[in-house]
Amino acid sequence: MAVVTAPTDADWRSRIHPVLPWLGGIAVLSLLPLVTRTAYDQYLLNIIAINVLLAVGLNIVKGFAGQVTVGHVAVMAIGAYASAVFSVHLGLPFWLALPAAMAVCAAVGLLVGIPALRLEGAYLALATLGLAESVRIVISGTDWLGAAMGFEGIPPPQIGGFVMETHLRYFFVVMPIAVMGIYISFAILRSDMGRAFKAIREDQLAAAASGVHVAKFKLIAFVLSALYAGCAGSLKAHMAPGYLNPNDYSLQEMVTLLLMVIFGGIGHIWGAVIGAIAVTIINDLTQDYYTYRMAIFGGVIVLTVMYMPRGIGGMVEDWLVRRRFAALRAATKARQATP
Amino acid sequence: MNLLEITGLSKRFGGFRALSGIDLTVRQGAVHGIIGPNGSGKSTLFNMISGVYPPEPGSRIVFDGTDITGRPSHEIARLGVARTFQMLRIFEGMSVIENMMVGHHGLTGYSPLSAVFGVKSVRHEERRVRGEMMELLAFIGLADYAEMPAGEMSGGQRRLLALGRAMAARPKLLMLDEPGAGLSPPNVDILLDTVRALQKRFGLTVIIIEHILKLVMDTCETVTVLEHGEKIAEGTPAEISADHRVIEAYLGREMLDEEVRSFLRAP
Repeated sequence: MAVVTAPTDADWRSRIHPVLPWLGGIAVLSLLPLVTRTAYDQYLLNIIAINVLLAVGLNIVKGFAGQVTVGHVAVMAIGAYASAVFSVHLGLPFWLALPAAMAVCAAVGLLVGIPALRLEGAYLALATLGLAESVRIVISGTDWLGAAMGFEGIPPPQIGGFVMETHLRYFFVVMPIAVMGIYISFAILRSDMGRAFKAIREDQLAAAASGVHVAKFKLIAFVLSALYAGCAGSLKAHMAPGYLNPNDYSLQEMVTLLLMVIFGGIGHIWGAVIGAIAVTIINDLTQDYYTYRMAIFGGVIVLTVMYMPRGIGGMVEDWLVRRRFAALRAATKARQATP
Repeated sequence: MNLLEITGLSKRFGGFRALSGIDLTVRQGAVHGIIGPNGSGKSTLFNMISGVYPPEPGSRIVFDGTDITGRPSHEIARLGVARTFQMLRIFEGMSVIENMMVGHHGLTGYSPLSAVFGVKSVRHEERRVRGEMMELLAFIGLADYAEMPAGEMSGGQRRLLALGRAMAARPKLLMLDEPGAGLSPPNVDILLDTVRALQKRFGLTVIIIEHILKLVMDTCETVTVLEHGEKIAEGTPAEISADHRVIEAYLGREMLDEEVRSFLRAP
């Protein structure tokens, strides 16, 4: 009979620092601009990196902690506008505006998380939907945020005299941050805290009976995902041409974001990454048909939920599990057949 | 010495009195059975002890010298009260070993931030937890299934896993809510043997709610009988199966005592 054992100390993986492979990943991805032909391709790479951050962040609260939120885009908007205000109105450099914007978003995430302590499922979705729309409307009506005309003149990041105003240079800011975001997500979700999140998603009563402080971890999940959204928002704000428009944070964007996570596979980090890449590229290719795009995206979400409820990541996992446990399951069945 | 002392425990849901003024004492190291017809308040009693429902004024629950009345669930769990659920509530979307590791959550000691920085102590701690949980899985006979999604397991295996997850917290008091429900007789025996083995090895105190009377009569030293939220009898299994009020509560007045006794003793 096949015996499955936990990884042992002798495993070569335990001897290298867990961050090393990720640094290697950054090095490899740094070569990516070599295969891009135009500045537009590089722009697209940056957008993909930002969307990866967003999707991975949403996956923490939705995929792992199981809390339905549609307010993620609003948190991103707050991060983007906070970063813009910090750099334009307060004169902070990008490197300070980014963490400051993330801090603001963490506070917002905490606020969004509070209704989650009482509401579940569709009711929580409605509460966060209210937040999402009101943020966009407030921004559209606030003059010092550029109102409906948009916020202009957000400076790009710079180190000394080196200004990252081109998409190529900016790529070397967003890509490492996105890779770090994926790494941190893995590190957290494979830890005790990640297991606590999943336990809350699976069964709150049983989680609490196992000693998990349900309310605390729910709020942490919201704050973590808000940090990701804030980071993504800030990165979007400082990317050339340094312009923000409130309409980029509408419900449509939220649907697109949900599609990334659902299509990629809720609760799978690589699924969220793949979903973000795929949906961003498809979104770009279908720009000419934008009137139909939302209908198609909505349709794809419905079909995914109906026929592939756990997305690409779930399918891959099912396949792995089936392969890995085929022998074990056959043995169990044989044992049950002959008592 | 008494591990659990409950006095005047009451709970009302709307106009329905689920529990009225229950007193219950559980001795350290005992296996204590709680029986009673459906709706007699057995599960409510567990939910009150484990902090799922807030208690009503006048109730007092003391566990291991600590007053836990009105404390939240996770704190009570961390003090050493573990439980299983009637509907099991295992984490189906997680692997068997992950289920166990969640059970051990209160005893896993490192901050999430150190996990992000890949600190060596985190990896040591993870390895310790995983190793200990594998040992426990081997003890309950599920070691081969460690990496399997819990949702893929059979009914009997799920019951064992629910038991294992409760044990993962290294509790002082283990509360089992109908551990034998839906199990075939041989599986009930496996489960009982496992419970007894765990109790011996870890010096546990166990409270069992059960409908299978044989299970309670064979395993428990003391049995408490609830009906309509009140304690109607308490004593050794032999005393209980001879008690008229118990027989009435279970089977009504009309049946003859002899019939009832033979029913209670039936395997």
